[in-house]
Amino acid sequence: MTSAASVPPAHARPAKPPRSYLPLLGLAAFVVVTWLSVGEEFGIGLDPGLLVENLGRGTGIWAEFLEPNWSFLPETFGPLLETFQMAVIAAAVGCGIALPVSFLASRVSTPNVATYLADRGLLSIVRAIPDLLYALIFVAAVGIGPLAGILALVFFNIGVVAKLLSETIDGVDTGPLEATRAAGANRIQTQRWAVLPQVLPNYVAYSLYTFELNIRASTVIGLVGAGGLGVLLNTQRAFFRYDNLAVIIVELFVLVFAIEFFSIWLRRRLV
Amino acid sequence: MIRFENASVTYPGGVHALKNLTLEIPDGQMMVIVGLSGAGKSTLIRAINGLVPLSDGDVTIDGESVRRAKPPQLREIRSKVGMIFQTFNLVKRTSVLNNVLLGRLHDAGTMRSLLGWYRPDDVEIAMRALERVDIVEKAYVRASNLSGGQQQRVGIARALAQEPKIILADEPVASLDPPTSHVVMRDLQRINRDLGITTIVNLHFLDLAKVYGDRIIGMRSGELVYDGTGEQADERVFRDIYGRSLTADDVLGEPTKTVSV
Amino acid sequence: MTASVTLRPAEPSHARRNAGFIAAAALVIWAVLTVEADWTELAEVPGGIARLFFRLFLENGVDWTYLPTAAEAMLDSIWIAWVGTIIGAVISLPIGFFGARNVSSGLISNVVRQVLNAIRAFPELVLVIVIFIPIAGLGAVAGALAVGLHSVGTLGKLTAEVVEGIDPGPVEATRAAGGRALQVQRWGVLPQVLPEIIAFWLYRFEINIRAAAILGVVGAGGIGTVVQETIVYRRYDKAGMAILVVIVATILIDAVSGWVRRRIIEGAEARTDAGDVEGLGSPLRMDSDIG
Repeated sequence: MTSAASVPPAHARPAKPPRSYLPLLGLAAFVVVTWLSVGEEFGIGLDPGLLVENLGRGTGIWAEFLEPNWSFLPETFGPLLETFQMAVIAAAVGCGIALPVSFLASRVSTPNVATYLADRGLLSIVRAIPDLLYALIFVAAVGIGPLAGILALVFFNIGVVAKLLSETIDGVDTGPLEATRAAGANRIQTQRWAVLPQVLPNYVAYSLYTFELNIRASTVIGLVGAGGLGVLLNTQRAFFRYDNLAVIIVELFVLVFAIEFFSIWLRRRLV
Repeated sequence: MIRFENASVTYPGGVHALKNLTLEIPDGQMMVIVGLSGAGKSTLIRAINGLVPLSDGDVTIDGESVRRAKPPQLREIRSKVGMIFQTFNLVKRTSVLNNVLLGRLHDAGTMRSLLGWYRPDDVEIAMRALERVDIVEKAYVRASNLSGGQQQRVGIARALAQEPKIILADEPVASLDPPTSHVVMRDLQRINRDLGITTIVNLHFLDLAKVYGDRIIGMRSGELVYDGTGEQADERVFRDIYGRSLTADDVLGEPTKTVSV
Repeated sequence: MTASVTLRPAEPSHARRNAGFIAAAALVIWAVLTVEADWTELAEVPGGIARLFFRLFLENGVDWTYLPTAAEAMLDSIWIAWVGTIIGAVISLPIGFFGARNVSSGLISNVVRQVLNAIRAFPELVLVIVIFIPIAGLGAVAGALAVGLHSVGTLGKLTAEVVEGIDPGPVEATRAAGGRALQVQRWGVLPQVLPEIIAFWLYRFEINIRAAAILGVVGAGGIGTVVQETIVYRRYDKAGMAILVVIVATILIDAVSGWVRRRIIEGAEARTDAGDVEGLGSPLRMDSDIG
């Protein structure tokens, strides 16, 4: 017995959704900007052909690099130590200052909109200045030497940590906050006991991360006189002593790797 | 004595959460509030300690107005009102004892509390609160390692540590299984009877309400629609409050058994 | 009611935690005492900073006639960052795939990751001094190439991590449908990871702006030279203008790039269950050296 109407009801095929022009526009803008950026007049003048030709130009210098002057090594120990010291001090001070700054930069801990916006605005400005620029500024303000470097890194650290931490604070569980307020605690007590315990592991992680960033930064800020390995980097570069530079670079490499291993170890122990 | 005088709360979206509520709650009473979600139970409770500000009218505790209290006075008022929450609201990463000590924050100075140097008296009060809810052996355990029922008991201990005159409980057992719910409700009832603390509880399980409440208040759309004892509250009354027939969701079900959590 | 017969527990010892604190504090104190900085000068620091701030921005105001020069130099830095990020993105994409254990073999991915780590260890400044100025001479090209190479290191590592974190389902499906290796990558892996990777590219661009701004200090083009020279030659009103330009340009670019990043991630979220708006993974993902 055949069943009537065994053909399923026909649905009209859906119309293809209209293409959004935004991605296309975005792509077009991207291509234009890129084309401008590599050109001669507006951009940087990137000429791949020229580069390949000039590859040979560097070989003389690189030959010198490949013969490091190891007798230079002892002279590097002082600046190396200074690099490390600067990184430590700046991390401690910077992360310390960043803690209250972060609390002020989060809606969760600072209901006063004016304070919050002001702090966020200030933080944007602090973060917009690169570490080396801070070094330039502080060398001009307090003279050359590690003090300028430490100050520069402190500001740099505050920018990094405060942004990360304030965003973490934005995401905390607000339940304990309500409970603490309901018990009659004031704002400082509430932050200390309901918010801080929630973000403390993150804070420690950010601080360690900042320390790593400091090590890398303090190797180069000496280029403008702010102490550390960078000072040596600058002098040797000025005298074209590529053999000495090679030693410094190897050291830098070892230092960065050592710190990375240490911090991975430390993080494993903390968790 | 807690007194609501024509209290109204209107939320920014235009929702009238509380409409002209007038109510008196004498000291030492155990009052249960029932009603649908959104009926105004939460708002009523939070108006007592000022967590939700009134749009109109007033609520006073022993004659002192909550609405007109300046921040320092409000904190003073809150320190005498303990509160427990449906989601327990413990600080998960820290110890049970530290959570209970949150109840002593108001009396510890800011400097002391910042450093965590509580006075021995405060620690003693906290320990005794933990003993009263039978969980002192977990004092140094991390709060997140406890079961739901245990966490809520820590919440009760935190409220007790304030040495409060009033305890507010916003759906304290909604996240707990039936046997545990009874344990917690019994703890609250015991505290109310032994210490004479005025206890106000939001519940949406009607059988619990009848068993544990001296007085039952029914809220519907922000208005008080019932005020009486557990005996007087029968099916018809509940249907008035809920605006519909009762369903299985409205009762907890299981007989009260003694279990340890 | 049970009488309190339960004994109160003893407070646990915090020996390890305290030892850690003491070690850290000792380290800081040692650093403070032994570093060759004259701490007695610390009192004069606020004054020095205030004086400089005054000279930079307040004394004669900022030199607005210098704006075109400063803006042009800043534009150079932006181009350096732009080109560098593109180079980094294009090269790091395939390399990132090779560095992912689940796509290439364990051995290859390990080697690739180590190479990427080695590249990452060198700040752009060092790369520019050692490699790119010798090749390309002074100027923006050297800067762009240095930024590009360093970016390959960071982006490569991030890409590899994202690829390692994918859901193997779609990959299996593509393979089962008969796809060749490249097709599996293109259709099974790439759609899952592309939004997050693009977000990383944008974030890297924001960071590269800062790196590029600095490179001028060693002659690799951009606004770094301008700031350095104006400060060294004490043309403070011009220096103030240059610094202002850096701040404003960076904030603007951060805002735009951040907005695009969020749109991309939200678009991806709408299609999956991913939950990270900033596009950086959890804030604890610091091993990835996002900065």
